[in-house]
Parts: sequence; structure tokens; C-alpha cells
Amino acid sequence: MPEKKERYQNRIELLQGTLDLLILQTLQWGPQHGYGISVAIRNRSGEILQVDTGSLYPALHRLEKQNWIKAEWKVSENKQRAKYYQLTAAGKKQLTRERTKWSQLSDAMASVLNPEQM
Amino acid sequence: MIFWRRKTREAELDEELRAHLSMAAQTRMERGAEQQEAERAARREFGNVGLVKEVTRDVWGGRWLGDLLDDARYGVRMLAKNPGFTAVAMLTLAFGIGSNTAVFSLIDALLLRSLAVPAPRELVRISFGPPGTKGPLSGPMFDRLRERQSAFTDLFAWKNAPMVLTEKDAARPITGAYATGSAFPTLQLKPRLGRLLSWQDDEPGGSSKGIAAVISEAFWIEHFGGDPRVLGQPIIVDGGTATIVGVVPRSFNGITVDYAPQVVLPFAFDVALRGKSSCRFRADCTWFSPMARLKPGVGFAQAKADLATISGDVLRQSLPSNYARADYLRNAILSLTPGRTGSSPLGEIYGRELWTLQALVGLLMIICCANLASLELSRTLNRQHELVVRSALGAGRLRLVRQLVAESAILAFAGAAAGFVLSQWMSSLLVGYIEQSDFPVFLDLRPEAATFAATIALATLTVIFMGALPALSLTRVDTEEVLRSGAQRTVARKRHPFAASLLPVQVALSLLLASLALLFATSTGKLLRMDPGFRVKGITLFGVDFARRPEKGEARLGLYRRMLEALRQAPGVAAASFIAARPLGEGGMDESAAPVEGNGPETKHLFENVVGPEYFATAGTKVLAGREFSQFDRLGRTPVCILNEAAASFFFPRQGAVGKHVRSTEGDAQGDSCEVIAVVADAKYLSLREPAPPTIYYPYEQLPDFNWAGFITRSHDTSAAVAAFKSALRRFAPDTPLLAPITMQRQLEDSIGKERLTAALSLFFGGLALLLTSLGLYALESQRVAQRTAEIGLRMALGAQRKDVHWFVLREAAVVFAIGVPIGLALTFAASHFIAALLYQISPLDPRIHFVAVMTLLGAGFLASSIPARRAMNVDPMVALRYE
Repeated sequence: MPEKKERYQNRIELLQGTLDLLILQTLQWGPQHGYGISVAIRNRSGEILQVDTGSLYPALHRLEKQNWIKAEWKVSENKQRAKYYQLTAAGKKQLTRERTKWSQLSDAMASVLNPEQM
Repeated sequence: MIFWRRKTREAELDEELRAHLSMAAQTRMERGAEQQEAERAARREFGNVGLVKEVTRDVWGGRWLGDLLDDARYGVRMLAKNPGFTAVAMLTLAFGIGSNTAVFSLIDALLLRSLAVPAPRELVRISFGPPGTKGPLSGPMFDRLRERQSAFTDLFAWKNAPMVLTEKDAARPITGAYATGSAFPTLQLKPRLGRLLSWQDDEPGGSSKGIAAVISEAFWIEHFGGDPRVLGQPIIVDGGTATIVGVVPRSFNGITVDYAPQVVLPFAFDVALRGKSSCRFRADCTWFSPMARLKPGVGFAQAKADLATISGDVLRQSLPSNYARADYLRNAILSLTPGRTGSSPLGEIYGRELWTLQALVGLLMIICCANLASLELSRTLNRQHELVVRSALGAGRLRLVRQLVAESAILAFAGAAAGFVLSQWMSSLLVGYIEQSDFPVFLDLRPEAATFAATIALATLTVIFMGALPALSLTRVDTEEVLRSGAQRTVARKRHPFAASLLPVQVALSLLLASLALLFATSTGKLLRMDPGFRVKGITLFGVDFARRPEKGEARLGLYRRMLEALRQAPGVAAASFIAARPLGEGGMDESAAPVEGNGPETKHLFENVVGPEYFATAGTKVLAGREFSQFDRLGRTPVCILNEAAASFFFPRQGAVGKHVRSTEGDAQGDSCEVIAVVADAKYLSLREPAPPTIYYPYEQLPDFNWAGFITRSHDTSAAVAAFKSALRRFAPDTPLLAPITMQRQLEDSIGKERLTAALSLFFGGLALLLTSLGLYALESQRVAQRTAEIGLRMALGAQRKDVHWFVLREAAVVFAIGVPIGLALTFAASHFIAALLYQISPLDPRIHFVAVMTLLGAGFLASSIPARRAMNVDPMVALRYE
């Protein structure tokens, strides 16, 4: 039983910064609820990135706390009340920042892993 | 506010996650799955909803408060489920904390609390006397000192004096005090109403409006109804009139801790009233207890040095020229002591006893904590299963510990609250013991910050000791093993070193307390049963202040004679006489005297008393030779006196004293000699503990200037004597205030108030300690038996007899006592050094006492273990084994 918690913690550690980026990016395309975000990430990554709820929801609430996204209760497609998140202006700026950081990181990784191609 | 927000946040989160689940199920159903299958799959994919909620909540922060409340609520529920444990625990705490707080608040009031004035640390007390004594100064000494000193901003003198207030036609005794004009300014007090006394008020005759007086706030409210128009009203005290000019605030109760003056007058009032006989300016009258405030920047040591330099000059200028010849005064100096707490005669008398009591209740507290810790430990052991399940559900170790500590905290603070209430009651009980019957004690026992702090500190300590420590050691659980082996058999093998060490400690401390209790009780018993040299049963003592009577000299003697006659005639009164210094009262004078005939030595410390005819027959003191005073021993006849055995054998060793003469040798005056007409048995006038002092008795007929008259009656029935006295007083001297009559029995008990206090309380605490330890032993043994039921069953199945099982249980208790008793004896041995001085005619190492103490403890222990032992013996092996 204790090991399950560990799994969550591991996940969060791994994806903390990257999960935030994924969420912000997903919301770039319009307001979405938690389930929708996880489906979108899974689909767009070709089923590779499967965010589990134990990471997703803390991340969503954290981002909301930091005012990068804001939430609103709306009625969904299938007539159900759901909590929709959308980017704030500050969130948009943060997304740009994160994307820049990510490309810098991936460039650095690439140059380390393939030195001849420099 | 936070909770409301949290509630909606919780509800929202709930809804959000439910929406997720339903949408996920919906998607599956759209793809063709059955509803039930879709929902189940969605849930599986989602994971543990509760856990997701938890980690999400973590993000919110501010979670600790909610968790704390949850812990608290759970804790209360758990405590309610175990009413027996909760009740015992709360009572234990209430007694432990209550008694500690009560004793401590008394110590605080008597010894530690500062006077309610600004910067009390700057105050010092000045005393006079041979090094080591702290006596009062005379008026001239005070004035000279005030002129010459340089270390203080100012000095003032204060004298507590019971006074008589006259209003309409009734006279009523009140507590009063005299103060010099510099008193209130030096104390820097602000008045509650009006103004306080100043130097102008202490001028001869006061100001043009007469002499001023101030009253205490309590007196103002109780007597004048808090009416502000009291200012300017006259007040008649001791026959003189003064004008009320102000009210002293409630927080200030004089400079003596246990005496709260209702009226404060300037010394000028006494001078106006008594003229030349006033003590104010007489060199031979030491009346003043001065205090002073240090100048800013001047330290205590510096002031002390300053005083030492001027002390010699001051004394020389203010004492009678021949003072150095008196033994007592030759080495006298002026000395300085810190005055932050004012003066506390009760504190000085009871100080040692109170600290002893504090030590006793401190030990009791340790026993209480140890008891609680082992009770809590055994309870937690029973909750292993619960703890394990919670741990399996994801609770961290810290979380479990926090839960247990929260429970202990609730118990501790609830117990502390109960203890606080109990302590108020115990405090008034303690004060009742300390009170001497004719000096009602005023003690400001309002709970002060110190008391609150002490209570809370104790409660917190208890929490840590009995909650956290066991919790920390117990939450180290091995989940697998416990879950597999089932609820009952947990920790059967694990012997907790912590719990094992608690009980012997309790036993040791209980033995110490029990021994001390027995020692104090025996000592006090001896004091009560001892023959003091006079009758105790049926004797009543009366005290009257005749100062305001117009009769003087021969006329005064006539008054006394008439009173005695009336008393003797009264029905129910067998005998009556006159006595100035009550036995075991505070009165009596020291005299220097020497024998005229023979080569007997001179003594400085002859106890002097003045008695009437037939006194010794009334008081029951045996006349060994000669005759009692009679009505013929009057003024103008041969001066006579009576010696007690100690004095007679001192002055006239190996000779009969009757017929010889004794001469007073006070100071310069060659007093008249008196003829010794009798020798009487020794009687204890000063204290029950000390041997009787050499005593000389004078007949009151030959010393008419007594204002203070004491009468003694012997009767079958106290009320008859009291009625007779009151009617005689009404007949011959109406309006004369009478101090409450007291029986000799009560006087005797009062004189050993300290010893009785210590004995009673130590018996109470000792009994309590014994009870707690027995309870602890019982609980532990029950626990052990319950845990080892299977083992016992097995043993019985294998052929063990009932008595073997009995011994099996008792063996545990025996080990505890085998360790605890020697430690206890060692502690008592160590403590004996400190308490030897408090005991009377009994050695702290008296083996009989220790034997009884150990036997009592063993008896209690045996009783406590026998119930679980009985239960063990009745175990049905079949049932026990089946439980496996």
C-alpha cells in the first residue's frame, strides 16, 4: 500500500514542470475540463503520455492558485456540470516562458547526446 | 470563514472528480460498453478517488488546521468510548495538577509575589538587631537614619496595628496601620479616589483640617458602599478622630503579605492620641519597620555598604547612652534585606513547610504522570490493530503520532481545567489550616499569571510525557506481522522497556511519600499528646483591651477584681484567674534577673508572666512548693514572685527557692527584688517543641499598669464560660472590645499549625500516591493477563496448578516491588537529611516507620495484583487455546 503513494510522488516529481507546460499548452486551444485535458494530452501524444488523475488534479489546482489558469463551472456537452479551466493573461505569458525554457532544455540535451552534430 | 470556504471547496472538488468519472464512463459507453462495465473501468482508470482528493487538498495548504480539528474530534470520540480510563485519567490529572497549583499559588502569594507598586525591585527593608535578626527600629533611629542616608530616594516606616473603629455607639475591631508621611510617595502609589497621605499629614497635629486618614478600597466598598462622598468624612479610631482624604487602590494591601489594613493613619495620629506615651519619639520603643527605595543607579550591595558605614553613628545618636551594656544590643547593627515582596511573617514561619509540600506534590505529579503514561501505553497497545489499518491506508508515522498526541492533549487540558478548579478549593483549605484563630489571614489568592503558567506548563509536560513518548515508540509497527497474526496477539512478546521502568519508579516514589507521611503524622501526634504542663481540656482564654477605660492604677485593679469575682460566681465556671501572656500565645516578655542569695548565676532570658490569684489551680499547673498568689499580695505589701522549676533550679541549685529573693537586672536599673513564695512545675509557654523556659510569675495586683488583660477560666462547658465572661464585661466595662475567646485546645492546635498542616497534607498525598500506584499496578497486571491468556491456557493444559498460575501473575508484581522498594528506601534515606529539622522526637530513620510503610505498600500491591491473578486462575484452557 505505501508504495502506491510513492508512485504518485514519483510521477509528480517527473512531470512537475512538464505537466504544467502540457496543461497550459492544452488550454491554449480553448477552455477545457480535467477529463478533457487528460484525454487531449493522451491523444496528441499518441497514447504515450498518460497523465493519471493523482498528478493532474493537484497540478490544475496549483496552477489555479498561481493565477495562471482560472476556473468556471459550465454545463458540458453531455448536459453535465463540469469545472472548465482557461488560461489567464498571466498564464499565456507563463506558457511562452515555459516553451522557451523547454526548447532551450531540449537543445541542450540534443547537443550533449549527439556532440558530432554541433 | 476558512471552513466555509473549505467546505465549498471540498464539495466542488468532489463534484469535479465525479464529473470526470461520469464523463470517462460516458465515453466508454459511446464506444459500446455496458454501463456497469464502463463505470467500473472508468473508476479503475481513475485510481483511488480518496487519495486523489488528498493530494489535491495538499495543494490548497492550510490543511493542518482542519487536520487538527479532525484529530480532536476523533480523540474525543475515542476517549468517550473508554469512560473508565478517561475518568481515572482525568481524576489523576485533576489531583496532580490541582495540588501543585494550589501549593504553588500559596507559595507565590506568601513568598514570591511582588508588592503591587511600580519597580518593586527597588524596595528594601531595614532592620535592627544582632546580626541575623530582623527587628524593628525606634522612632529616633528612623529619623537619624533618614537624615544621614544617601543611597535611597527616601525611607518610610509602616506599622500594622489592630485598631478599634467607633461608629454610632458600637465599637468594632478593624485592621489598621500607621505610616510615615513619606510612605505613599516612596511607594509611588496612585490613589483610587481622593489623595494619599503625604509629609504634611505627618506633621504634629496634622494639617489645619485635622489629621488625615486613608481607607482601603475593600473597606470603602464594604463599609461605605463605594460612595465617593466618603471624602471629608470623619472617622473615629481608638477614640481619636481623623478625616478620610482618600482611598488606597485594591491592588495594594499594605507591605505585609497576610495583613491588609483597612485604615491607614499617619504616625502623627498616634502622637496626638497618646502624647508622651506614644512610641513615635521614644528611644526605648522599637516600633518601626522601615522600607526604602533605592536611588536610580544605586545597587543593593552599594546601599548595604552605605548603611554599614553610617549604622554605628545612627545607633549611637539614637539609643539610650548605656545601650551597650545590654547584651542584646551590644552587637546590634542596622541591616538591609530586599523588600520586593514586602514582609511576610507567615512566609517566614511556613516557608520551609511550604517548600516541603511543594516537593511532595511535585513527587505526586511525577507519580501521576507515570501512572498516566503506563495507562496510556496499555491502551495504545490495545489499539495496535487500529493503528496498523490506518497505516495501511496511507497514514504516515508522523500522522499517527500526531493523532495520539492530540488525544493526550485533549485529556491533559481537560484534566488541567478540572485541576485548576480543584486547586481553588484546595487553596482555601490550605489557608484555613494556616490561619491562627485570632488573626484572620488575608491572602490575595486570586489566580495570577504565575499560577496559570504553572498549570499550563504542567499540562503540557504531561502531554509530552504520557502521550508523545509512548506514541513514538509504539507507531513503529510492522504491518505485515500484525495483520497476519490477528488483533489479539499483538505485542505479546514485546516487552516495552519504557513501561517496565515506570512502575518501579512509581513504587519507589510512593514509598517515599508514604514514609514521609507517616513520619510527619507521628511527629505531630507526639506533639498533640504531649503534656504541656497545664490543663488543656475545659480551659477557655479571653483577651480584653482596657486601654480606653478611664480607671487607672488602684481603680483598674478593682475592675479586674470585680471581673474575676463575677466569673467565679458564674454558674458552670469552676475556676477563673488572670493571665497576661497566654500559654502558646505570642505574648510574654524576656527579663534579666539574678538571685539575691547564694552564688546562682544571672540570666538574660527569663520568661516573664503576670497572673492572678489561684492561677495555677485554674490552669492545672502543679505547685511544687510554697503557696499561690492571694488577694493579700497587693501594692504596698512585700513584692512577691513565683518561679517555675527550671528557673528555681537555675538560680538556686540544690537549694529550696521558697523564701529566697530574685532581683531584676534590666539595663541600668537595679530593680526591686521580690520574694519567691512558690515553685511550680514547668509549663510550655513559648512552644510545644522547646523545653519550658525558666519562668517568673508576678501577681497582677502588684503591677497595675496593664491595659491588656487576659482571663482564664476552667469550666465543663465552653459556652457557659463565654456567656459568663460576656455578661461580666457588659456589667463592668461596656464598650470594651473583646477578642474572640479561644479554648486551650484550639490554642494548642494553632501553635502547631505548621506541623498539622504538613502531617495532614502529606497523609493525603501519600494516600493518593498509594492509590495511584495500586491502580497502575492493577491496570498493568490486567493488561498482561489479557495478553497472555493463550499462554496461561497452554500452561494449564500442560498441567500447571491454579496456584502456579497465581504465582505466575504475582511474579510480575514481585519483580516491580523488588526493584522499587530498595530505590524508595534509598530516596527516603537521602531525604532524611532535609526533613530531620521538621520532625519532633522522631528520627527520620526510625525503622518502625519504614517497616509500616513498606508493609502498607506491599499490602496494597498484593491487593492490586490479586484481582487479575484471580482472573488468570479462572482461565478455561479450552477457551483460551481455541482463541488461537
